[in-house]
Amino acid sequence: MSVLTVENLSKSYGRIHALNNVSFTVPEGSVFGILGPNGSGKTTMLGTIMDILKPTSGSYKLFDEAPSELQRRKIGTLLETPNFYHYLSGEKNLEIAAEIKQHGKEDIQKVLEVVDLSRRKDSKFSTYSLGMKQRLAIASCLLGNPNVLVFDEPTNGLDPVGIAEIRDLMKNLSGQGKTIIMASHLLDEVEKVCTHVAILRRGELITSGNVNEILSNEDMVEVGAKDSEKLMQVLQDLPAATRVSKEGGTIKIFFPIGTANLEDVNSYCFTNGVILNHLILKKKSLEARFFELTNN
Amino acid sequence: MLHLLKIEWLKVKNYKAFWIFTILYFFAILGINYTGYYVNELTTESLPQSQLLLGTPYAFPKVWQTVGWMSSWLLYFPGILFIMLLTNEFNFKTHRQNIIDGWTRKQFISVKFVFAFLFAIVATLFNFLVALLFGFLTTGSSFSFSGMENILYIFIQTFAYITFAMFLAILFRRSGAAIAVFFLYGLIFEWLITVLINFKMELSPIGYFLPLQVTDVMLPIPFGKSVIYKSAPDEWTLVLGSLVYLAGYYFFALKKFTKEDL
Repeated sequence: MSVLTVENLSKSYGRIHALNNVSFTVPEGSVFGILGPNGSGKTTMLGTIMDILKPTSGSYKLFDEAPSELQRRKIGTLLETPNFYHYLSGEKNLEIAAEIKQHGKEDIQKVLEVVDLSRRKDSKFSTYSLGMKQRLAIASCLLGNPNVLVFDEPTNGLDPVGIAEIRDLMKNLSGQGKTIIMASHLLDEVEKVCTHVAILRRGELITSGNVNEILSNEDMVEVGAKDSEKLMQVLQDLPAATRVSKEGGTIKIFFPIGTANLEDVNSYCFTNGVILNHLILKKKSLEARFFELTNN
Repeated sequence: MLHLLKIEWLKVKNYKAFWIFTILYFFAILGINYTGYYVNELTTESLPQSQLLLGTPYAFPKVWQTVGWMSSWLLYFPGILFIMLLTNEFNFKTHRQNIIDGWTRKQFISVKFVFAFLFAIVATLFNFLVALLFGFLTTGSSFSFSGMENILYIFIQTFAYITFAMFLAILFRRSGAAIAVFFLYGLIFEWLITVLINFKMELSPIGYFLPLQVTDVMLPIPFGKSVIYKSAPDEWTLVLGSLVYLAGYYFFALKKFTKEDL
């Protein structure tokens, strides 16, 4: 079963195409990252599937069915900003959310505990700091222990400890088999938690799929030796390598994904009379890959 | 619907501004009618002939209409209150969150109108009690059911003012704009348009069918009606006109809220 299927979704604001013919599928149990720079259409995408925005054309399905409010109740969603009644306490706000979802009332104390807000649950929402508001929004998503969670920039406004906590929470939720759909412009966030990814640029879907396939399409090994000229020569005939390049002082060897073997490289160089003083396996950095994808 | 109302109740139960506004409004109803009652007593005491013109506005059966007309000047209070309740949702973006959490757009609008309906009923009940009080306070007046249809008019007028205000709030989304238009239109421009249509263009009674005016004419000043609302249509036509507006506010608010981006 797929949790979300997006088919040819477009959304225009006058001449601006916020989303242009986007299609992808979110498989059950995945941590699905929607990645893209500011203004690429991430929030527009999530807003559309939550019936906040009306698409110009195209359609989407939730749990393989036509979308309705009944399915939204089964999804914990944090969209763009924490939206709560300023004059009510954190706890009262969660009561309203639980009533609308029609489940999760019994979870209120538990979810407040999870996001570490129990001490301030009786304070008005307007007195919360940005990070606390974000925590309350995450707590609201967890009400009723939903199997699908949608997080739009979940670590916004959180301190480093908070960011680490939310990441642990997401890993934990994913470990329980829950599906998480997460929009972010923070690359390491996606790299650390996501299993699948879709990359948006100016409203267009550039690519989507398994995170390992998309974000690193080859293995890279960095090597070095005293005589780098000779090393370069020797490496030209290295079996299995797709190409070898020299950038500055370091030499990089590229292999098809999953095939790099450091022992083989080391013994090959040694038998050919070069002793390595530097040998390290590096996947291509996500950042480099991201710029590569979004710039051309 | 009961469950939706329960949620609406949770939203206002701990909202201080809502209760302060509501209590002030109810005190003001009592206050404005006491003022009217007192001034009327003083006038008839010092100038007994004035009764020929004024009649006995706070005696049964006239008291139902008098209280309704006096209180109608205060209808901007609940209007502003409901503008606040709606624009709060827009400001806090909770109108979005309610939908995200599992309401339909229609439920969001419908429960607001039903809540306004209940509020109008409570306000009408209070007006009824106030009328009862001043009716009994007036010497030589004995309880009478005649003129009780004015209680229905009070309800329709209250509900119409609130829903008109809500409609403006949904249209403009900002409390400042909605309140400004509400006041300027209700207190100045509607009168101007009525006068222009009815007297300048001589298209009377069309000018009496403007959104707020139609309810004002239904519950007119207790004396001198024939001068102020010359050739006004009968009450039931006005009731019908009001109901058309009420349905229109709901229909267009629903249409706007269900078709557009939130």
